[in-house]
Amino acid sequence: MKASFNWLRALVPTLPNDPREVAGRLARGGIEVETMRTFGDGAEKCIIARVTALRAHPARTGLRLVTVDLGAVGAIEVVCGAANVPDPGGLVVFAPLGTTLPAKGMTIGRREIGGIVSEGMLCSEAELGVSNESDGIIVLPAELAAPGARFIDAVPSAHDTIFELGVTPNRPDALGHIGLARDIAALSSIDWTPPPLKSALLAHGKQATSEVTVRIEDAEGCPHYAATIVEAVTIEPSPLWLQHRLTSLGIRPISNVVDMTNLMLMLYGHPLHAFDFDRVSDATIVVRRAREGERLTTLDGVERTLSTDDLVICDTKAPIALAGVMGGAASEVTSLTKRVLIECAYFDPRVIRRAARRHAIHSEGSHRFERGIDSGDTMRVLTDVTAGVVELTRGHAVPGATLVVAKEIRQPSVRLRNARISQLLGFDIPAAEVATSLRRLGFVKLSGDAESSTFVVPTFRPDVSREVDLIEEAVRLHGFDAIPRAMPTVLAIQGPPGRETFLRRVRDAAVTFGLYEALTYSFVSPEQLEAVGAPAPTVILKNPMNDQRSVMRTSLLPGLFESLSRARRHGERDVRLFSVGTLFGEAPAGQLPLETSHFSALLAGDRPSYLQHAEPVDAWDAKGLAIGMLAKLTKRSADVVTYTADKRPLYLHPRAAGEVRVDGVAVGRIGLLHPDVAAKFDVGNDTVVVELNLQTIADLPKKAERIAHLPKFPASTRDLALVLSDDIPAGDVLANIVASAGDLGESVSIFDRFVGKGIPADHASVAFRVVYRASNRTLTDAEIDARHAAVVAAAQSRFGAQLRS
Amino acid sequence: MAGPPQSSNSENIESNIDAGLATLRAQFPARFNAAESEPSLREENAKLLGKKGELTAILKQLGAVAPEARKAIGERVNALKTEVEAAFQKRLATIEAAKRDAELNARPFDLTLPGRLAAPIGHAHPISIVRDEIVDIFARLGFQVHDGPEIELEDYNFTKLGFPPDHPATDMQDSFWTTSGHLLRTHTSNIQVRAMLSQKPPFAFIAPGAVYRRDDEDATHLPMFHQIEGFMVNERVTFAELRGVLTEFAERLYGRDTTIRFRPSYFPFVEPGAEVDVRCVFCKGGGCSICKQTGWIEILGAGMIHPAVFEHCGIDPEKYTGFAFGMGVERIAMLRYDIPDLRMLVENDPRFLVQF
Repeated sequence: MKASFNWLRALVPTLPNDPREVAGRLARGGIEVETMRTFGDGAEKCIIARVTALRAHPARTGLRLVTVDLGAVGAIEVVCGAANVPDPGGLVVFAPLGTTLPAKGMTIGRREIGGIVSEGMLCSEAELGVSNESDGIIVLPAELAAPGARFIDAVPSAHDTIFELGVTPNRPDALGHIGLARDIAALSSIDWTPPPLKSALLAHGKQATSEVTVRIEDAEGCPHYAATIVEAVTIEPSPLWLQHRLTSLGIRPISNVVDMTNLMLMLYGHPLHAFDFDRVSDATIVVRRAREGERLTTLDGVERTLSTDDLVICDTKAPIALAGVMGGAASEVTSLTKRVLIECAYFDPRVIRRAARRHAIHSEGSHRFERGIDSGDTMRVLTDVTAGVVELTRGHAVPGATLVVAKEIRQPSVRLRNARISQLLGFDIPAAEVATSLRRLGFVKLSGDAESSTFVVPTFRPDVSREVDLIEEAVRLHGFDAIPRAMPTVLAIQGPPGRETFLRRVRDAAVTFGLYEALTYSFVSPEQLEAVGAPAPTVILKNPMNDQRSVMRTSLLPGLFESLSRARRHGERDVRLFSVGTLFGEAPAGQLPLETSHFSALLAGDRPSYLQHAEPVDAWDAKGLAIGMLAKLTKRSADVVTYTADKRPLYLHPRAAGEVRVDGVAVGRIGLLHPDVAAKFDVGNDTVVVELNLQTIADLPKKAERIAHLPKFPASTRDLALVLSDDIPAGDVLANIVASAGDLGESVSIFDRFVGKGIPADHASVAFRVVYRASNRTLTDAEIDARHAAVVAAAQSRFGAQLRS
Repeated sequence: MAGPPQSSNSENIESNIDAGLATLRAQFPARFNAAESEPSLREENAKLLGKKGELTAILKQLGAVAPEARKAIGERVNALKTEVEAAFQKRLATIEAAKRDAELNARPFDLTLPGRLAAPIGHAHPISIVRDEIVDIFARLGFQVHDGPEIELEDYNFTKLGFPPDHPATDMQDSFWTTSGHLLRTHTSNIQVRAMLSQKPPFAFIAPGAVYRRDDEDATHLPMFHQIEGFMVNERVTFAELRGVLTEFAERLYGRDTTIRFRPSYFPFVEPGAEVDVRCVFCKGGGCSICKQTGWIEILGAGMIHPAVFEHCGIDPEKYTGFAFGMGVERIAMLRYDIPDLRMLVENDPRFLVQF
């Protein structure tokens, strides 16, 4: 909503002549001033000039030399290219040297054109920024002002300060200057009433009724409909002041009738529509729901197919306007129009909103109707607009107006208890101040006693219906700055830590392991999910941003792969990313989709190394990350079990894919990315991934948080190196050693693996370290040697392994 | 030894021994001092006192000495041994000190080489960092952290919060709908509804989470972003307390010299409603490009919970009042870190993430 500072000051003359101050007051009252700009910026330096002589430019065709009288300054000859320079005696607008015209981004300087020096310029409206386009320079009526007068004194409408307001949807009253004037007056503690109408309020009934028949067939959609008729109109461009006002408010001037309805729209916030009455069949207006498939070509030239939910204005034959949204082309006011019918109605906000959305039209009219216009100003607005149209078109109004009220809109009255103010706000506003504030805002006090007062809500405030709304109005005018600070009694009721706490531990753990946290969108494409073998999406967006973001994810990997691919394109090779986020699963019958929290990480490129040749990451990095994360999160040691071919997630490499388990419960998976998937996401083959189901992990039975007591007796260590065939998993050997070390074995670890000289092909030397200890005594060497010999023998015979010396 | 010694012979031998001891005594200091390293010192020591050493060789003659004289010789030998031992220790200490001095005075290590990390350094996302910080402030003020579903019923996201169907207020939050008729929550205010439906006041919650609005991705909009909603309901919770809590929050987030201001605004689920600005943290109110010369930065929406919301959730608005507030994590992060384009937050460029 654009608002004119000059117009507001004309409505509330006691406002300070300071746009900044007025903007501040509006903002403090809840109407945000987003920007402030000058209309006709630069025009203040221009002066009125009278043409005294004209001659052709000696060297340049199409240019003329114009001598103008600038009053006290004297006369000057300037070069002008406009075709419409008036004959001597005509008034034009002169921009002297140094004038800056922001609309064209220029500053007038001394110019030499074809050997003739020109010091100044005759201006067009577009150059002054008071019109979007100009055919030539401004030519003013010869008697308008004396040469030398300031242009903006001669044409005050050419200069204004325009506020761009951010009006919240609850304040339709602020979508017109009358409403803004009321608010700014109240915020300025000014008693204010709207200016009186220039003509008497129209009586309704009488002759107008015999000229036009109005029938409302949908009382819900159209509670009120009123119309007047103006005959013998002359349709022509509006006077300059009106064109300037509309242009300054962002509305394109069209013709006197349309411009006048738009002026009233900006004054009252009440949209109006003018029909060419001779093109309304049988002089009959019917307001009804459209029939399915009915067609209407609107003013923008689009032929629209209507549905039964659309409210339309019809004549006896067909729809002639989409009610409250846009008029029809067939009944448009044109230069040939002789009689106009002016519509002033109240349409149901929800009906208008649905129609505007269905037809994707957002007009000044629909914007206001869908927020709820003043249901009480119909006859006032109609009177004002009719008088204005008569004046501009030199026509005459058919006496009276037609008003059909299909449904009364009842104004609520609201009781305000004085005590409730401090109960809600924590401080008191005196009842007298509240009453004054509400009166200034248009509320009428119906009754009152020591405890409470009852107010009738004005018709232009559909947002007010409850006691708390009155309190808001009172505190809004009292000033939010005056609200004191208080601290509430702290509520110490705390439940168990929720999902957020756990997710934060997960993120912290991942950061500890040197990963970078990535933020990825919850919506992905079905193809991406399919490419990573994720479950088919079940939560599908009806109105996605685009195909790439059309379903809710069932895997975090596509987002991570996108990020990795992007990083690679920017030359980042070594990437370690993780993401914690929600995955969306099928909704159980009658419920919302299942949402579970997951962790995914990828490592790509080289493993960090210290001053030596870096090595690419491999599946054991993924395994280590998974085990490390789970140790942090669960205090348990996790296992990774190689997938059998039938269970392997297809996005993982057939040679390196494992299920992560904690106490036998599957909680995730790790592995090397399958080269086909890597190719699809353009990420390279050196990528390993870890996926953990955080829901499952959070749900693991809680482990008693007890320490293991430290051993009292010394341990002894024995190593053995076995040459093992590559067909034998080292983990199997380790398990065998654990078993045969039995009660004396405290731990077994693999500490070296060697392939190369002295080791047969397809074999590796794997070195195990066994720690022997008893909890109740110091073991003797003899005991340990005996047990270790048994361990070695068992491993050798079980796996056919050679002991390596 | 060949036969029992003669006494005169014994005396000769005794004097031989004494002469040997005297020679050793005269030599050892110089021999020790000649040793420059610990091994050569020990070698010298072994030559003197070892099993095959010079002293042992001298003492081989002892058998030929008269038994009554042996004790005295033994005492002299022990005295010499003690002297040698002391000299050895002294020389050893000197050599070790010299070695230590040499080590200490050698060329310094090149500490300009990179440090060796136990694990590479990880980086939390700026959104997580800011979100955790905000949640922690409210948690310490007594608010309990709560969450709720990201896919929500229209009823809980809009209707119960006082957004009537077909109302322009829903334009402020253009929604993504699923084919089964649910929507992606447009704010974390759905948690307010769920809490009020399932619990009885008093309560105070802080609810962070991802939210979705159908805005085209650009420098200042993402279709998915993060919000933190807070709300408190009890008998006689007041607007002044809302101001108190938010002032405290702003001071803890931005420092004690921060001020905030309330401006009337509109959110369907609160009345009165306010937008809350914090004094520009960059120019301290003087006006700069970040605050668009206003001296203030809008960071929050807030207000008193609308009685209609209480009614929709089965809470008596005559008995209970409450406040609610909400803020966008991205906006606060953008301002804090001077992030020029929100899309950087979802691109996950390692060169960006490494800075947090």
